[in-house]
Amino acid sequence: MDVSQYLEIFLDETNEHLQNLNTQILSLEQDPENMDTINEIFRAAHSLKGMAGTMGYKRMQNLTHDMENVFSEVRNGNVKVNAGMIDVLFQCLDALEEYNTNIRESSDEGTNDNEPLIKQLNAIMNGEDNGTETADAAPAAKAEETTATKDSTEGREWLDINLNDSQRTVLKEAVKQGKNVYGLTVKVQESCILKAARAFLVFKAIEETSEIIVSNPSAQDIEDEKFELDFSLIIISDATIDKVIAAAKGVSEIEDVIGGVIDMDSVAPSDTEEAAEQTPAAQETSMETAAVATTEDVKAPAPAQTAASAASAAKKPAANKPVVNRTVRVDIEKLDTLMNLVSELIIAKNSLVSASAMSGTSSQAVNEQIEYLESVTTSLHESVMKVRMVPIESTVNKFPRMVRDLQKKLGKKMELYMSGEDTELDRTVVDQIGDPLMHLLRNAADHGIESAQVRKERGKPEVGSIFLDAYQDGNNVVIEVRDDGSGIDTEAVKNKAIERGVITPEQGENMSDKEITNLLFNAGFSTAKVVSDVSGRGVGLDVVKSMIESLSGEVEVKSKLGEGSSWIIRLPLTLAIIQALMVDIGNEKYAISLGSIQTIEDISPADVKLVQAKEVIQLRDLVIPLIRLNEILDIESKKNPEDNLVVVIVKKGDKLAGLVVDELIGQQEIVIKSLGKYISKCKIISGATVLGDGEVALILDANTLI
Amino acid sequence: MEELKVVSETTQFIVIQLGDEQYGIDIKYIDNIVRMQHITRVPKVDAYLKGVINLRGEVIPVMSIRIKMGLEPDVETKSSRIIILKLEQQGTIGVIVDEVKEVVTLENDQIEKIAYDSKDEKDNFLCGIGKYDGGLISLLDLNSVVLESV
Repeated sequence: MDVSQYLEIFLDETNEHLQNLNTQILSLEQDPENMDTINEIFRAAHSLKGMAGTMGYKRMQNLTHDMENVFSEVRNGNVKVNAGMIDVLFQCLDALEEYNTNIRESSDEGTNDNEPLIKQLNAIMNGEDNGTETADAAPAAKAEETTATKDSTEGREWLDINLNDSQRTVLKEAVKQGKNVYGLTVKVQESCILKAARAFLVFKAIEETSEIIVSNPSAQDIEDEKFELDFSLIIISDATIDKVIAAAKGVSEIEDVIGGVIDMDSVAPSDTEEAAEQTPAAQETSMETAAVATTEDVKAPAPAQTAASAASAAKKPAANKPVVNRTVRVDIEKLDTLMNLVSELIIAKNSLVSASAMSGTSSQAVNEQIEYLESVTTSLHESVMKVRMVPIESTVNKFPRMVRDLQKKLGKKMELYMSGEDTELDRTVVDQIGDPLMHLLRNAADHGIESAQVRKERGKPEVGSIFLDAYQDGNNVVIEVRDDGSGIDTEAVKNKAIERGVITPEQGENMSDKEITNLLFNAGFSTAKVVSDVSGRGVGLDVVKSMIESLSGEVEVKSKLGEGSSWIIRLPLTLAIIQALMVDIGNEKYAISLGSIQTIEDISPADVKLVQAKEVIQLRDLVIPLIRLNEILDIESKKNPEDNLVVVIVKKGDKLAGLVVDELIGQQEIVIKSLGKYISKCKIISGATVLGDGEVALILDANTLI
Repeated sequence: MEELKVVSETTQFIVIQLGDEQYGIDIKYIDNIVRMQHITRVPKVDAYLKGVINLRGEVIPVMSIRIKMGLEPDVETKSSRIIILKLEQQGTIGVIVDEVKEVVTLENDQIEKIAYDSKDEKDNFLCGIGKYDGGLISLLDLNSVVLESV
């Protein structure tokens, strides 16, 4: 069947489930007895299996099936969680991730069967459960559990279906031919987003073995999503009821499927009221046969176990309703369009402002309306921006797992502490910040944290700590990667830099520790004495730096030898619209991001001093280099050289610089537009913006000027 | 069927004037033709890049074919136009031309390919010569026109 239209949803959901599994298995490692965690894992594995199955990815299905079996055993208390098992499970997740990547790239799962993993899984299962139960027992037990725990007619909504004469004839005919007539009620999870799609998949799954005679609500209504959380079917099938139920349950986000045999003889032929009264009775009997059929499959489960499964079944609905806000999945492209439109609106508003100023007829009323429009566009912009913001959680969630793996690989003891995972950033930034962060964490683990022995000698706790803290700071988001390891050995860095020819020995003599640590961001610089596959391939921090700078962010490092180091990343909240100061230089207008501006000063030309043939000014005990923008931008200044200079003091990290401009125009909200690939050579221009009068002004990147 | 075949063998060109010569630009690359407007200069870029313009909210780079081809710099007149090109690799770019003349349809046998061994720098920007109405049109190879000079 054609499921390609669900491929995107499948991939998204698989990712979520994998992420969830990762987190849960990690916490399982900490707390192997936690039933909630085990149930959660079981559910995630089960949904994954179902999803892979419906999409026709058999290998993925097989692997998840075996994982699910292992958890089913764990859940029943037959197998204990141990370190070996966790390792195998993590390998399974990696394998699933690989399938997922393959599917994303080529919509094919690839050909890796992962036989060894499946064998290991089976070994875990068989090694400790004395072989009493086979793998197939798990789904059967599950089916049994649902039929056994629900012995009332509750949930058997198919009983309410009223059959018309022709349908009744069809059913009777089928019975005569020795086929089975079943009633089914399918419950969709409350959190399910595409109920119609799920129902469609259930229909498809059932149609593989059976013929659907009636559905309630009608097929059309189901397609139009005109149903609550459940729908009922009456079907004719050659297969056993268990098989049909299992097929329907294979679809993900299906909470429950209840089914039973319908005894056609007891259905009264004419009077519907009577039929409604009689069917429950008929149901009782047919239900009994169904229950017997399933229990026969399983080798008489101990009473205690039934109680346990009943308990877990009771728990299930509670745990199954995650506290989610009502959400809508929106294509990021649609958001981009929306954002562009908002940008257009802001440009239009700016035009209106300048047009009314130009015409000179600005009345009180016009001004008021413009101010009102301004406040509306500003809040519209803020709301759209908020929509684009996502918590960095999705990116940082994979790190605990990574650190755990590193710990094994490097043979060191360490622990990752994270805070501020709910800090929100623009979607595009969140998507791209993962790699740099991963790199910094790896660095911290590989170079920062010492081995347990060394740590002991240095009087530190044996287990090293790595911190990942995220928080909002004004218009920026700060992400800090910190470790309590050995810190940066500036001498070693200096020697290495001299050895590599990055600096001369003389230069090295005069460098401050801070300057030396900044050398680490040079291309091709790695201080690890041993090249490991974790870090130390010489492509590292320079890539981190350029990636963060491409997001208009900055990174700095603070370190104390023997006490640890911290890497601080600063990112702007949004990339699209900023507050900027507009300035005149010659006949051209330029924008400078307000975020980088410290102060604006009026300086007399007499106060400009020369240091090493460079112009500087002294401001509150600070010596600040002057940058004459007209020279850098090849513009002829309109200003009389004897007039006072207008100096915009900008800041980058700890460094300050004074930008000399001709005149200030004012503060304005500007929409950043890219200059495009074609003009990428000009580093000092970070973009362009369209002004109110339709003209283009360039945005100066103060960071590259300093 | 017959008609389709005919269509596939012809190419439409927009004829433009640059100095004394007429050039043809394949119509499939042309997104738009706009009047000359204020171009915002971008500092520190090659001379043939005149700057950027605002085209309905989009910022689009504009280049001078004349400077790129080593001709006299553009003189802005009433007939000057900016042709907005959409190219696969470089995206959207505007080029300044002296005048836009007409649209011609050339059949493939009216187009003569030219060899690439020419030493004349100008010829490197051509992909063929079209014969039309007794006159000749140099057909621009847009990719090499727009390609960044190293």
